[in-house]
Amino acid sequence: MKIRDIAIIGIMSAILVAVQVALGFLPNIELVSLLIIIFTLVFGRKALFIIYVFVAVEGFLYGIGLWWINYLYVWTILFIIVTVFRKQRSPYFWAIISGFYGLVFGALCSIPNLFLSGIGSAVSYWLAGIPFDILHGVGNFVVVLLLFHPLYYIMNRINH
Amino acid sequence: MKQNKNLLKALIACAAFVVIIVAMLLVYNQFKPGTVKGAKEVTIQVVIPDEETKEFTLHTDAEYLRQALEEENLIKGTDGDYGLFITEVNGRVAQDTNQEWWCITKEGGQVNTSVDSIAIADDDQYELTLTVGY
Repeated sequence: MKIRDIAIIGIMSAILVAVQVALGFLPNIELVSLLIIIFTLVFGRKALFIIYVFVAVEGFLYGIGLWWINYLYVWTILFIIVTVFRKQRSPYFWAIISGFYGLVFGALCSIPNLFLSGIGSAVSYWLAGIPFDILHGVGNFVVVLLLFHPLYYIMNRINH
Repeated sequence: MKQNKNLLKALIACAAFVVIIVAMLLVYNQFKPGTVKGAKEVTIQVVIPDEETKEFTLHTDAEYLRQALEEENLIKGTDGDYGLFITEVNGRVAQDTNQEWWCITKEGGQVNTSVDSIAIADDDQYELTLTVGY
């Protein structure tokens, strides 16, 4: 890995943390999904390093809890989905993907409950969070539709 | 032709997105806990590490736990988008700087919503536990 790569990973991780903290007061309206989509499209595998530096810093900031276990895999799942469709550049396509991702976010986060407390606990966790998942999905859809093009352009310029 | 095909795909995806949202709302409305009207007796245990557990028996007509607790001046908190975030129970303030927070459980089981949306029934028992670490 080159020094430039390390610098990119550091700066992009810092951007992820900054936008997460800045928008933390809004329930499930976030830019992290959009940025991970763009980082994966622009930086490829380096995005995985960005994700895990971000997850580590979030753990230091807020303390290690069950939510942190979720963070260990939820963003990687998004990375994998984006990698599968990496040739797509349509903001409509990514808005739909990000929207669906927001809708299933609660279900993905209920997986540890499945192992810790059984299926009943996991289902009740998911059910209780449905209004927030819907808000998350719609928020992701709108955010990606509005910001995909300008942010993708900026990140692409940084990478070349 | 290709443009029409792409437009059709986008429309189908948007429709699927809306259908899933509607389905999730239907599931949520079907399974969300219903409220119970009338008099109830609800037991609240306040658990603070290294201190003796205190038990309170609430007699209330409230349908949600928040109202029952506030009627007895047992809790204080701040309202947010996720509901009431409890900051104080029975005069004990959770110190944010020490990563302290009040965890709500029902007979030891995890509760996934704030006190605003916990529908209570007669003979329910809840625990408010001062927990350290997020």
